Amino acid sequence: MSLRSRRPGLGASLLASVAAAIWILPYAWMVVTSLKPLDEIAQDPTAPFPKHPQLAAYREVFELVPVGRYLLVSLAVAVAIGLLQLALALPAGYALAKLRFVGKKTAFALVVACLLVPAQVTFVSVFLMFSKLSLTNTFSALVLPFAASALGTYLVRQALLSVPDEIIEAARLDGASEVTIIYRILGPLLRPTLVSVFLVSFVFHYSDYFWPLVMTTDDTVRTLPLGIALLKEPGSGVRWHVVMAGNVLLSLPVLALFAIAQKHLIRGVAGRS
Amino acid sequence: MKPRSPIHPWLMLGPSLAAWTLFVFVPLGLAAYESLFAWDMLTDPVYVGGANYAAIAESGELGRILGRTLGFSVLVVAGSMALGLGLALLLDRPGRFFAFVRGAIFSAYVVSWVAVALLWVLLLDPDRGVAASLLRVVGLPRVGFLTDPRAALVTLAAVTIWKITGYAMVVFLAGLRSVPQSIHEAASLDGAGAIARFRWVTWPLLKPTAAFVATTSLIVSFQAFDVVRIMTGGGPARATTLFVYAIYEQVFMNLSVGRASALAVVYFLVLCVLAAAQLRAWHSQTVGRRA
Amino acid sequence: MSLSRRSFAVGASLAALGGVSGCKRALRDDKGRVRLRLWFSLGGRNREVLLEIVKRFHAMQDEIHVEPVYQGDYFESLAKLRTAIAAKAAPALSHVVAEVVPYLARASTLESLDGYPGMKEIPLVAPLAQSGGFRGGGEKPLYGIPLNRSTPLMYCNGDIFAKEGLRPPTTWRELVDTAKALTRPGARWGHEVPISWWFWVALVGQAGGAVFDEAGRATLGDEAGVRALRLWQDLVHREKVMRPPPGRDYDAWNVVNQDFLGGRAAFIWTSTAYIRYLEDNAKFPVIAAPLPKDVRASVPTGGTFFVVVKQAPDEEKVAAARLLRFFCETEQAAYLSTRTGYLPITTPAVAKMRADGFFAKHPNDDVAQAQLASVDPWPWEPLLFRIERDIVDPRLEEAVLLDRDAASVLGEARALAARPG
Repeated sequence: MSLRSRRPGLGASLLASVAAAIWILPYAWMVVTSLKPLDEIAQDPTAPFPKHPQLAAYREVFELVPVGRYLLVSLAVAVAIGLLQLALALPAGYALAKLRFVGKKTAFALVVACLLVPAQVTFVSVFLMFSKLSLTNTFSALVLPFAASALGTYLVRQALLSVPDEIIEAARLDGASEVTIIYRILGPLLRPTLVSVFLVSFVFHYSDYFWPLVMTTDDTVRTLPLGIALLKEPGSGVRWHVVMAGNVLLSLPVLALFAIAQKHLIRGVAGRS
Repeated sequence: MKPRSPIHPWLMLGPSLAAWTLFVFVPLGLAAYESLFAWDMLTDPVYVGGANYAAIAESGELGRILGRTLGFSVLVVAGSMALGLGLALLLDRPGRFFAFVRGAIFSAYVVSWVAVALLWVLLLDPDRGVAASLLRVVGLPRVGFLTDPRAALVTLAAVTIWKITGYAMVVFLAGLRSVPQSIHEAASLDGAGAIARFRWVTWPLLKPTAAFVATTSLIVSFQAFDVVRIMTGGGPARATTLFVYAIYEQVFMNLSVGRASALAVVYFLVLCVLAAAQLRAWHSQTVGRRA
Repeated sequence: MSLSRRSFAVGASLAALGGVSGCKRALRDDKGRVRLRLWFSLGGRNREVLLEIVKRFHAMQDEIHVEPVYQGDYFESLAKLRTAIAAKAAPALSHVVAEVVPYLARASTLESLDGYPGMKEIPLVAPLAQSGGFRGGGEKPLYGIPLNRSTPLMYCNGDIFAKEGLRPPTTWRELVDTAKALTRPGARWGHEVPISWWFWVALVGQAGGAVFDEAGRATLGDEAGVRALRLWQDLVHREKVMRPPPGRDYDAWNVVNQDFLGGRAAFIWTSTAYIRYLEDNAKFPVIAAPLPKDVRASVPTGGTFFVVVKQAPDEEKVAAARLLRFFCETEQAAYLSTRTGYLPITTPAVAKMRADGFFAKHPNDDVAQAQLASVDPWPWEPLLFRIERDIVDPRLEEAVLLDRDAASVLGEARALAARPG
């Protein structure tokens, strides 16, 4: 249990307020700037409130960037990756947790090894691979490389280790196929873990800037982070109100998800709740 | 348990293993292979043996990139762990206010790097940003946060710390909560004050958690890319050209696939060494305790 | 999640993957028009003008539909174009920085436009076209049609100069003196310029040197190159009359513009491309002047050329050539120049603008026109771009910011430039 169950003192509350300011004020600044007209930003950049708030910046973002389309791509990619990862991690985790077979140790070592190889080492070869198959700028290029998640597999395995073997044995006696056992019996049992794995993966891949940047060369499957980053146009002065409006639009889905599913996200990240 | 059929385990692992082979291990090998060639993707590759490695080592480029990335990582890991632990201790209190603050801090971890980087470029504008006006109010001299080669890397580290401290905090909170209340009570009864309790009771039990946070934060900070690309483009005067950005630059700006692959191979080896070293260091401190 | 829902979800994802991947791009749209991909990297008003011209093109014909895609700044766009060419996914039409045309041509990625109807006959302004923009450019196959071409130009704050009774400097000596006279420590810099290859090349030319010698070796100007770099270093560190602008690539250019507009820099060097922007946003009269000379007057050209990519389908390439001819029509060329400040690229366009009284109303544009007489062409050197981006530019920044010895920095660069691959 936690160390402090008595009422917090003034000092703690003060420090906590400072911390809150440091982490919340930047967002507030983002929103405020997005509502200011450009000349206000030029003349009085640090005014805390807009004198003439307006939504023109948002309109401009929608004109410059097909927000809806990019958002749809980002969401589709993140959801597809999340679901694929779950679909693959369950059987893999099951095999590693519950079955005895030759080569199990090697397989597990491979899982751990994968955790160490980041996308930045593999992207050139994967890009060349996809380009030989004329599959750059496709949905597949953004999704397939992440279909299997080493972390997800590891977490599923951990969770399954504490599921009693009796459940599986009973199901087998009942004549259930392995597929049924994995997806219809164990899956629901592991729901909290699966939800967390999905959410962590979703948030990461929705916000991913690097992989779509190196895998796509045009805007067929451009994701929203890329689209918003392009708002920072060079040369004739950065239109900060437009960039911040883009930022707000980019962050809203994730923050909304965060507000709803905070607990699951934290569990996914911390490994335990 | 015995599998019902000997091929079952391999059918279950099959798709995952296939994906990893295709997208992780084969590309890793290919990167090592490509590092022996000079290739710009538009003309034919030319075999150059170890010339790519020699080039990046000789010019001091590799040493500088490594130094910058290590320095950056150390700052980020130390900073986010210290802050994360402090915030966990501070905010581990009941009530809606504290829950709200915890949520706000963690939300920075969840938001896209694009949003965070663009936001902080605005906040850190040396003349018109909020940070600049704060400096003016306090009477401090102007700082080129992202434009002074001496300050840029530290600035990026600070922004990274801002973003990922929430992660460390959340993990430490989980660790703190797994310390049984009874041990605290026993220590209190023995006359230990809050600080002594932390030092002799809490911290030793937190070490595995700290090891976990340190290792994952190190790996994450070593992979820093978005923050560099969006905030400084590797500058000023290459002061923030970290490892992953250097690899990206070699591929997309210089179209030098061989050079990029050589950097990627070195990067991977350094990452392995670091992770192993860190795990060993923490392991020796926590011998006898399993997470 | 039940088995059926889960498998449906997985199945749907895989179907979507299969659906979007691997289908070949249709050459014609559902109205039977050829789909012409145009990748561009212009922002702000320049982008509006480009898109307006595309709209006009659509209004006057029905066989071709242009699909413009914004790709970021020049360098990001170039990176994407090159990787797309490598991935065989390149568009038919894009535009690239002048210095990279020889490299792309040598790598056999560009379509020669000589064979397309009407291309060779376009009356282009020589220093802005491939023929005058490159040494021997007229003897090579036609690979590039100018889109937005520019030269460096000096802009002076009319109010400040009037108050101090000064005129724009015409020599290096005058440049230093004028900057000294106009600097107010803490409030205003006399001079500012982006520390960039382009302006350094101008200085090298003015000092009587050339980046490549006749034999095609990258001499980097030899002594002239060192003098050019030293001029900047002295202005920044010894005379303290010049602010080295921060930021990478075009961020630095933006800072120079903002400092000028904000009265924090009395006279700057930047591109002719900003004539309109600076005039419109300054609260003082903007006076343009040609760059000062040392032993001679010299300016390089900048901006981009349209290029057609060889690997694109034939019909798309034909469509691209048609669009390019449209861009070069007098009406369009004059429109682009008058609205953006880029130099007009055809001689009839220049004549039209003069006849319409444009240059009388915009004396700064006239100054830019007159300066074309001092243009020094680029060498047709495939390594030009790599030497610029990879070797010289980062060292210039370093040398000026950190005041490293100019001769050794350039010597280092020269040695690297001599190494192959």
